[in-house]
Amino acid sequence: MKIICLVKYVPNVEDIKYDYEKNILIRDNVKLILNPDDACAVAFALELKEHQPEHEIEVITMGPKSVKPFVEDLLRRNVDKASIISDKLFAGSDTYATSKILSHYLKDKEFDCILTGTNSLDGDTSHIPSQIGELLGLNQMSNITKIDLARFKKTKAVIEVENGENVLTYAMQLPAILSLRKESDYKLPYIEYENMSLDVSDRLDIISNQELGLAKEEIGLKGSLTKVVNTYNKNFEEKDKVVVENNEEGIDFVYSFLKKKGFV
Amino acid sequence: MKNTLIYIDQENIINSIELLEVARQIHADQEYQSFGLLINQQIENKYLGEFDSIINIKDQNIKSYDQLALTDVIEELQNEYQFESIIIPATHIGRMLAPRLAMRLHVGLVADVTEIKKDEKSLELIRPAFSGRIMAGIETNAKKPIMLTVRQNVFTHHIDQNKELKMINYQPNNYNKAEIDLLEKKQCELSYDIRESEILVSGGGGALKDFEQIKNLADKLNAEVSASRKIIDDGKASRNIQVGQSGKTVSPELYIALGISGAIEHVAGLKNIENIISVNINKNAPICSLSDIVVVGDAIEFVKKLANKLEKN
Ligand SMILES: Cc1cc2nc3c(=O)[nH]c(=O)nc-3n(C[C@H](O)[C@H](O)[C@H](O)COP(=O)(O)OP(=O)(O)OC[C@H]3O[C@@H](n4cnc5c(N)ncnc54)[C@H](O)[C@@H]3O)c2cc1C
Ligand SMILES: Nc1ncnc2c1ncn2[C@@H]1O[C@H](COP(=O)(O)O)[C@@H](O)[C@H]1O
Repeated sequence: MKIICLVKYVPNVEDIKYDYEKNILIRDNVKLILNPDDACAVAFALELKEHQPEHEIEVITMGPKSVKPFVEDLLRRNVDKASIISDKLFAGSDTYATSKILSHYLKDKEFDCILTGTNSLDGDTSHIPSQIGELLGLNQMSNITKIDLARFKKTKAVIEVENGENVLTYAMQLPAILSLRKESDYKLPYIEYENMSLDVSDRLDIISNQELGLAKEEIGLKGSLTKVVNTYNKNFEEKDKVVVENNEEGIDFVYSFLKKKGFV
Repeated sequence: MKNTLIYIDQENIINSIELLEVARQIHADQEYQSFGLLINQQIENKYLGEFDSIINIKDQNIKSYDQLALTDVIEELQNEYQFESIIIPATHIGRMLAPRLAMRLHVGLVADVTEIKKDEKSLELIRPAFSGRIMAGIETNAKKPIMLTVRQNVFTHHIDQNKELKMINYQPNNYNKAEIDLLEKKQCELSYDIRESEILVSGGGGALKDFEQIKNLADKLNAEVSASRKIIDDGKASRNIQVGQSGKTVSPELYIALGISGAIEHVAGLKNIENIISVNINKNAPICSLSDIVVVGDAIEFVKKLANKLEKN
């Protein structure tokens, strides 16, 4: 089977920077990590390949070229092929434009299944997988916590989904887009020692809009239908707190508070 | 007259109906009509009384989890009713349905809205951004409908008058079905929903070493247990009880925060809480400034002592 994994490298939220004038996220010089949900998607694909080596895995990511070393690391972990979709023209794309760009690249590809994460740490919209589903005419499912390895077939997958209240098991026709959640807990394997500095450049493509040929109106800020117009700091109401020690007096104070308010 | 559509998701019916408040905030400056979309569900009219109309579809071929069919159906309704806005709860299904539908209708979509700012000139949909560090006000392009998903349990709408409800029995003409079958549905192990709790005893990093003890205190207070992400990431509890940005928004009457620092992502999940007691070894932890009482000390020691006190009295 041919499996495509869509992954995103996200700024480590700890060192996020934001351009308040232009209202865009600054991704340069920020430490990037593989989005946790997406790491599970790649890890599942690799686990599958471990059992059945004939599976072929391609990783596709749209983002800055600086993700190259990270992508190379995935290739050293047994991913067959990777493509980085990168162009200055794509900067500022919202989820609508991003989905269009990714779908444009995907529409001519052959695959049996697309694996993605459910949410990205920075965008956190969960829009991309279902929007690509719409553009490619594929079904899609989010919040997957398990894919049944034994029943993963060319035309069908059996998956478990958690929606907060229930665990739902579905049989889903492939090709489709399966979006994993971090709780699925598939773990990326380590790079084997002899592959540590393997040259993988022949398996890595960098694709710009030159190759994709999308019109300027369709991509970047121009192609976006949503726009951040303001940012606000969160303000929380401070209270006149009473500070007590964790001793008999303190406990008595808490107890009478509970009593007064009718909680006990 | 403007029309607005609210998708009533069986995953969270009550909160779907509360999205009438969102419709009000978006459209109140003009005359508008609210439509609720009900597919294969039976809900008593008294709960629906604030909608002007309910589009009622009964067709067992449309599964609640079939995004393809749902998208086709709502597209058809859009053509018929020309909704000015489509409001969808940010449930598991809602979060898959909305992006697909927005793409189909070629309109922008704002996810997980928590606040609405409207004046004569503009409509800003506000959502947490950058992991909840700041709030972003987002505008969509002028094309209609305005589409948004709304974070669950953030808006509340009080039914104060029961209008004459118009029931529109609707049979969609044409839709594709996705090839997907539900094989099994199991309840998550948890028997309660922290969003409905009156008292939450919540544990964090400072209570990691003996998270089980917290249950004991909760039992004595007739309360339920919730947690910060620290506990969930450590595997001590299921994500269903996580409070915060990537967890749930809770509004209990009393929140007891045990060894929780009060990171902005956590506090984002606390809404309209009258009483907060926090226990922390650091009296300057951010959660403390939001608290009525701060107990300085070890969380687990506190739990044991208070449980003891409750037992004696
Ligand atoms: C994208 C994103 C989304 C997130 N979403 C959420 C979310 O939904 N919910 C959430 O909770 N977090 C979320 N976080 C994580 C959040 O940033 C914090 O890391 C997390 O809330 C910290 O949990 P904590 O306060 O329990 O633990 P810690 O940060 O470990 O803090 C422990 C606190 O306990 C105190 N303490 C230590 N020992 C004791 C003791 N013995 N007795 C009493 N007090 C003690 C410490 O002084 C400290 O204040 C998110 C982060 C990101 C990046
Ligand atoms: N720029 C991107 N390149 C490749 N995949 C992406 C990109 N953005 C989002 N995705 C995929 O879509 C999922 C959901 O992202 P989001 O819609 O941003 O929350 C991620 O987990 C990825 O699998």
